[in-house]
Amino acid sequence: AMAWRVAPRAAARLLLGRRGIASCIDPSTGLTEDQKEFQKVALDFAAKEMAPYMAEWDEKEIFPVETMRKAAQLGFGGIYVKPDVGGSGLSRLDTSIIFEALSTGCTSTTAYMSIHNMCVWMIDTFGNEEQRCRFCPSLCSMEKFASYCLTEPGSGSDAASLLTSAQRKGDTYVLNGSKAFISGGGDTDVYVVMCRTGGPGPKGISCLVLEKGMPGLSFGKKEKKVGWNSQPTRAVIFEDCVVPVGNRLGAEGQGFNIAMQGLNGGRINIASCSLGAAHASVLLAQEHLTVRKQFGEPLANNQYLQFRLAEMATRLVAARLMVRNAARALQDGREDAAVLCSMAKLFATDECFGICNQALQMHGGYGYLKDYAVQQFVRDIRVHQILEGTNEVMRMIVARNLLQG
Amino acid sequence: QAIDDDCNQTGQLLAAMLDWPQGTFASRVELEDGAVRVQREVDGGLETLRLRLPAVLTADLRLNEPRYATLPNIMKAKKKPLEVIPAADLGVSGGSPRLKVLQVQEPPPRAGGEKVENVEALVEKLRQSGRI
Repeated sequence: AMAWRVAPRAAARLLLGRRGIASCIDPSTGLTEDQKEFQKVALDFAAKEMAPYMAEWDEKEIFPVETMRKAAQLGFGGIYVKPDVGGSGLSRLDTSIIFEALSTGCTSTTAYMSIHNMCVWMIDTFGNEEQRCRFCPSLCSMEKFASYCLTEPGSGSDAASLLTSAQRKGDTYVLNGSKAFISGGGDTDVYVVMCRTGGPGPKGISCLVLEKGMPGLSFGKKEKKVGWNSQPTRAVIFEDCVVPVGNRLGAEGQGFNIAMQGLNGGRINIASCSLGAAHASVLLAQEHLTVRKQFGEPLANNQYLQFRLAEMATRLVAARLMVRNAARALQDGREDAAVLCSMAKLFATDECFGICNQALQMHGGYGYLKDYAVQQFVRDIRVHQILEGTNEVMRMIVARNLLQG
Repeated sequence: QAIDDDCNQTGQLLAAMLDWPQGTFASRVELEDGAVRVQREVDGGLETLRLRLPAVLTADLRLNEPRYATLPNIMKAKKKPLEVIPAADLGVSGGSPRLKVLQVQEPPPRAGGEKVENVEALVEKLRQSGRI
């Protein structure tokens, strides 16, 4: 069954908005001409190349490699990576706008693309020239795909307590341990792995880049998930896995810092994916309310539903502003950027889940059927409140800023 | 069809001025040696013409899928030079339009229809009004 009940071109019109209709949630307001162009390409791509397939990718658990490579040809493989290694060199705000738009087509796939982008940026930013040239070009084109490996079975929120060890032996590191819940794990080619080269705590952690095929690198079973089914999730296992020292990003002990800096952008990106899903859901709800009749009139005549829709729209715009504000802070290198990214991630992922969930409720029984897209948006963004730092950890970060400075 | 006046005449006018053959609303184009095979959709099906080159073609939506603009190209577009050339420099005289809009009006509102009792009455009505 088609995920979107409307054909792709109509979906694009729905997403881009008919003039005047739903102009209060128009995501192009306040953007520069260039940004509107980026957004238009991304919305077009989402409507034509992703939306018609999102249900199938979810149901059959297909990792849409060819579609993502098409997206990479347009520059979506390394959006905020420097152009000299194949990136598009755009800002964090441009990136947020793009992921928000792509997410309207398939949130799960867009979220994976954002993780991939985060990894390429980490290599671009913290790698030396040789590493940048070795890894970035093929990642930007998505000839190869990347995964971010921080979480372990024993360390999620307490990320700095990770145990995967990397023992120095001559000009190699030997890794032992495992990572859990790795997006793309097993299907991707490049793994950015945070591991312990020194003592306990964050300062003993380094960042190594591993490649599929390295002896001692293996994967667990593919996890069965509630959503994010267009990307495989597996454990990544290291058993005396030998990695050249030349694969270390930055200095020994810099790994945790690299991981956290990656996550600042990652949080904006995940929040942006939530925004796209929520926007799509509001439009789906609006359409349903106009079409569905009960008690002799369209649901849209019902003041309760009008008010609920208005609340959903208001929260969506509030969340969008939080995310875009954080993106600006990050690209401007402001001191408060990290905490703003945490606030934005917390607020947007929570609010947008509420919006999608409300949209499902407004669909009544139909909302529960997989023939209708709204349930997939709900399932796909549920995990955004958990990964890249749980929303509880986001509160910790904000509280620390308020109370400890 | 131009997006302003919807006249659907530029390609046709050009062909007439050049005295070249024209293939309009092309939904499929195949180059041959010194000629081009142009197909367009008509009410009854597909019409194919073989035109000797040079020829003027106009394209229909069905001809192809436009490419997406890439992010780098969107950024480069800003920096491309925009050269303004006065018509006189190209030896084109008379810059003012030769078409004058006399009137724009809505079509007359639809008149009500008529129900008939049976097929014979329908056929009779159609004959009377000259439709068949």
